[in-house]
Amino acid sequence: MCWVCDIYGDGGLWYLNPKNYARNLYRLRTPGAARAFGEDPETLGLRRMQEILETRFTDREEFSRLVKEANEMREKGPFQIGQVVPLQDAHKMVELSGPFAAMSCLCRIHTRAREERSPREYSCGGLGVGMLKWERWPERYKGGVHFMSPDEAKEWLTKWNKRGMVHIPMTFGGSFIGGLCNCDYPDCLVIRHRVDYGMETGCLKGHYVAKVDYDLCTGCGDCVQRCQFGALKLEVTTRKANIDLLQCFGCGLCETGCSQGAISLADRMSFPMLQEVW
Amino acid sequence: MLRYPAIHIDESRCTVPFDCKRCLQVCPQAVFAVEAVKVERGKETDPKEPGAYKLDTPYRDKCVMCHDCLDVCPVSALTITLAEEVKS
Repeated sequence: MCWVCDIYGDGGLWYLNPKNYARNLYRLRTPGAARAFGEDPETLGLRRMQEILETRFTDREEFSRLVKEANEMREKGPFQIGQVVPLQDAHKMVELSGPFAAMSCLCRIHTRAREERSPREYSCGGLGVGMLKWERWPERYKGGVHFMSPDEAKEWLTKWNKRGMVHIPMTFGGSFIGGLCNCDYPDCLVIRHRVDYGMETGCLKGHYVAKVDYDLCTGCGDCVQRCQFGALKLEVTTRKANIDLLQCFGCGLCETGCSQGAISLADRMSFPMLQEVW
Repeated sequence: MLRYPAIHIDESRCTVPFDCKRCLQVCPQAVFAVEAVKVERGKETDPKEPGAYKLDTPYRDKCVMCHDCLDVCPVSALTITLAEEVKS
């Protein structure tokens, strides 16, 4: 189990624990905490992350120290907690929580000025009662939102999975799971901050790793472009996909993209040397 | 020795970065970011309003000085230089 499960999992996976979707968690706020946009848990964590990242332009040592400190703060830090989950777990999440709404991705607005203005374009997912208040902050939910039934949400998640997106549930203050993002590199902030700068909390490795069955792999290479974490390559001489399990985040995109059924997900905890790799 | 490119944005020229978005979308290294200067309750910021959004370069450590952004900038608002050495 990862440290988030230890704290919020009640013996199981934290993001499949119904408690973490409870509406009373959404109402729970630190006494005296401001409610305005820019002062909510999401943006406070983002601002702090940006401050830490800026130090790399002035003092590398200080930057490394702050990143390490931020990672060790875990749930006590101001940062959102996110973890890579495969499609089947993302599907379970939308069954547990409601309402579910698709919306434009805040990261892509920020990094690419991408405007998503219709349900066909929306690439991010919001969960829980917070979504009912979206109209209060139209700039945050730029382009509107589109509420979906659990079945529609599953279809929508499958669509983005096919197109190569990694699913990441995100907390919004404490353990309240308010987002289910579809992410890729480099336009998604949490993946970029993890891969390029070592900031772990927003993008923890998932509870799985992907294994290749070399007897079934034909070396077609379809999986290679689907790995957002640089864990997968085609080994030239063997003509088989090779996955570095230490780099694998367990998103399962290579699995869902394999037409031969040659890749499957295994429990991270079944590998002694991966049990502490999150 | 560690030196990063410094990307200077002339804000008197770059007034509607979210609406323009050319540099944001052309950059192979995705070094740019854009944000609304002010977020108000009940109001969506207008991308065409001059000064409503601000362009920044939080990932400029990834810049390789390919100058693609300079080529696409319609108002010549960008200049790239090598910044001072960073303490490492």
